Amino acid sequence: MKTLIVMGAMALSVLGANAQDFKAPLAKTWVAFDTLPMMGSGDARQQQANKLVLIAKKWDKEWITHFYVALSKTMMSYEEKDVTKHDAVLDDAEKELQDAVSLLGKNNDETYVLAAMIANSRLGVDPMNRWQKYGKIFTDDLQAAKEINPNNPRMYYLKAVSTFFTPAAFGGGKKNALPYFEKADGLFAAEKGDDVTKPYWGKRANTYFYAE
Amino acid sequence: MRKRLLLIFFLPLLAGSFAAFADTRISGKVLDNFEKPVKGASVYLDNTIDGATTDSLGEFSFATEEKGNQTIVATLAAYELTGQPLVITGDVTGIVLHMRKSQHDLESVTITAGSFASSDRTKTVLNPIDVVTTAGSNGDVVKAMQMLPGTQQTGTDNGLLIRGGDVSEAAIIVDGTIVQSAFVSGPPGLSTRSRFSPFQFKGVSFSSGGYSSRYGQALSGVLDLNSNDMPDKSNVNLGASIAGIYASGTKKWKKCSFDAGGNYTNLAPLLAVSSTSNGYKFYKVPVGGGGNARFVWEPNKNGILKATFSATYSKSGINIPNPALGSVDTTGNVNTTDEQIKYITEDNYYFGTISYKQSFKNKYTLYTAGSFSYDKLNNVYDIIALKQEEYRNQGRIELKRNFTTRLNLMVGAELQNFGTKKQFGRTQQYDETQLAAFTELEWTPIYWLALRPGIRYEYSTFLNVDKVAPRFSAAIKTGNHSQASLAGGIFYQNANTNYYLSGFKPGMQSAIHYIANWQWSKSDRTLRVEGYYKNYQDLVRENGYGYNPNRFRPVIVASSVDNTGYGYAQGLELFWRDKKSFKNTDYWVSYSYIDTKRLYENFNFEATPTFVAQHNLSVVGKHFIDKWHANISATYSFSSGYPYFDPAKTSGSDFLSGRTPTFNNTAITAAWLHSFGKWFTVFYVSVDNVLNTHNVFGYRYKDGQRQPIAPGFYRTIFFGANFSLSQFSKDEL
Repeated sequence: MKTLIVMGAMALSVLGANAQDFKAPLAKTWVAFDTLPMMGSGDARQQQANKLVLIAKKWDKEWITHFYVALSKTMMSYEEKDVTKHDAVLDDAEKELQDAVSLLGKNNDETYVLAAMIANSRLGVDPMNRWQKYGKIFTDDLQAAKEINPNNPRMYYLKAVSTFFTPAAFGGGKKNALPYFEKADGLFAAEKGDDVTKPYWGKRANTYFYAE
Repeated sequence: MRKRLLLIFFLPLLAGSFAAFADTRISGKVLDNFEKPVKGASVYLDNTIDGATTDSLGEFSFATEEKGNQTIVATLAAYELTGQPLVITGDVTGIVLHMRKSQHDLESVTITAGSFASSDRTKTVLNPIDVVTTAGSNGDVVKAMQMLPGTQQTGTDNGLLIRGGDVSEAAIIVDGTIVQSAFVSGPPGLSTRSRFSPFQFKGVSFSSGGYSSRYGQALSGVLDLNSNDMPDKSNVNLGASIAGIYASGTKKWKKCSFDAGGNYTNLAPLLAVSSTSNGYKFYKVPVGGGGNARFVWEPNKNGILKATFSATYSKSGINIPNPALGSVDTTGNVNTTDEQIKYITEDNYYFGTISYKQSFKNKYTLYTAGSFSYDKLNNVYDIIALKQEEYRNQGRIELKRNFTTRLNLMVGAELQNFGTKKQFGRTQQYDETQLAAFTELEWTPIYWLALRPGIRYEYSTFLNVDKVAPRFSAAIKTGNHSQASLAGGIFYQNANTNYYLSGFKPGMQSAIHYIANWQWSKSDRTLRVEGYYKNYQDLVRENGYGYNPNRFRPVIVASSVDNTGYGYAQGLELFWRDKKSFKNTDYWVSYSYIDTKRLYENFNFEATPTFVAQHNLSVVGKHFIDKWHANISATYSFSSGYPYFDPAKTSGSDFLSGRTPTFNNTAITAAWLHSFGKWFTVFYVSVDNVLNTHNVFGYRYKDGQRQPIAPGFYRTIFFGANFSLSQFSKDEL
């Protein structure tokens, strides 16, 4: 009987591990991706991004796995200067984000923030021709995120970065971006960031820009 | 026994989790169709997380715990997924996977023959910002089109002169409906600007021929303007310029927005610093004002309703060179003897549009639009009152079905009622109702080939005539960055309104277009070469009298008018635009060659019309100075001489054989952007015809003496500032 209990316990732990263990590889891969320098480490980041795709394929029913794929692709897209390829990467990111949203059943603040980021990246590759369309999507999605959770630091971080890279003559620049970075910084400090199922990206980059 | 059973039951489960200890290596490479290595592809065993990314040689290698039958897969953005089965018993090496570029993500071929379009996903050729930053455009969308191939300078006319066609042959369209009286009213021979601001539009699409079956009643081409969607945010906008002041505001709510604005114009300061040409002298400076309102509503994510209304008023009095000087008058009330006549303009203009667009799950798109234009003139020509009302009311509906992303079918219908009431000595009237139905298929069977056949049916109740106009365009990719396009079709148009007003009833005129182009486009550099042949049939002709060079002449009542005219136009056009070679600099060169002749209206012989120059060149350059937030632009335009009428040369090949000197114009514009606190400000100054060149568009003869036909203005100087205040971001924090 004792053996039986041991056996049973072992079997359960194996089963449990199979259901749970997406978190460990996900967290590990995500951190590996996120801690690589944003620019210039293309290949190494691509490897981690590809790994995230595999994780999402294996744990297909977890919205967060798709979310990270979308997020990593969006982040990678900023490096791609060719408009066609840039859009192809973001098309993929959008699909993954849609998967995440349909698994969730509805948008949450994080998915809205990511949708805003995708729009921001689309805008960034050809600002002169795209600001009108994607600038609006960016603003609308951030607004939607704010209505769900006004304390999401990534919202302010995105607004800050977008302002940072807007020419000063159009109301952008370092000075105008600063209050947003400050606001984001405060909110980032309040986040623990110890649970991979609660996205906690953006803090490092915010600290970097804040210093600028 | 029971224990053993359980063991059997659990063992596979445990074995599965312990199998990790036996690693095997999988390696190989990924190549594309041309056997070139593919870098950055993700290669993995399907349904596992075992995989690797290919290096610059396309090679990959990874370890796995999996055994037996597996599938190895490679993926990469812009490529089609590829895979092959694999049996793993030990290390596997030398796998070769081939990947194909995916059709969906590749830059698909787009049809460009005859059209300059802009959209967010295709390479833009000209957008609203381009329009305002182009020197010589004076912020006028229509004027900016004169820096593109296929058009002529309009020094003394209002409208677009496209590929040998006169101004009446081009239609200006806003949100799918034709605009009546699209230009500010002015005296004959004085070119005025269009009534629109480029900032009203998100997209400008200019067709110099072979346009879609969605539109008709334009023998030459269309300028299709798409108004802005929902504004970003609330704002206040104030402006002052040498010609007037304006103010506008936008209030945005969550799902709708409302704009309103007003303006006052007074050209006195502008006239004081500009150089008017000999013969044009305002004794009553143009003064006017207007108001506009706009409402946008998004009832759901995929639907948008837009409604606009504007009203403007203007008045002026001017001495102009007598357009009828030296001509033969048959009506008995046209002054043909005085060098100068007085002309008073008083104009009331109202324009309203409403449109609604709704998509249903990306399967169907419904578009409906309606508009009205009403223009009331209370003019005085010399000493005779000239009262005129022009109106146009129309509606359109279009339904598009997207079968796949590469195949869609559109069907639509259009109803228009338009006409003119004119009182100039006698009272004349013309009222027409036209019905049209159209369909168009857009099909990209494979990424390198696009086809767009269409057909249009038009019925005129006034003429009791119906016409069927087929249209076709296609494009094929000829390389990674190049493509060739074709466009063509039959186009019909009623005769010039003057004929119907005078009681004649000529039938529809027609033109057949054949257009071919080749375009190369790579990272912000575009080269286009386009050739065309246009065949005009059934053009209107007045028979029985000699040629009268006065373009504003009344039709002689005793003449006979029919559709026996004809003509052709053929030409070659080049366009080169480069936004890349020089930092912050964008320049383009546009050259058009045209050979055209026609026998129409009161021509006695087939000849090149007076508004067509054989060679046209525009060079436009723009530069943005980061440090100063300033934008400067310069444009040089050249046209070879224009044909003119010499009363001593009236027969055969002598008719309209004279050529004026060449046309030259240099324009510069500069703008400075600055934020004063929350106010975003633009200061601008533009000088047209910097060198004060006295261009000539023809001659007017009287008693053997000739006077040049000049544009109204030579050098003009325009400057002003715009201040805008957007919603105040502090409350976002």
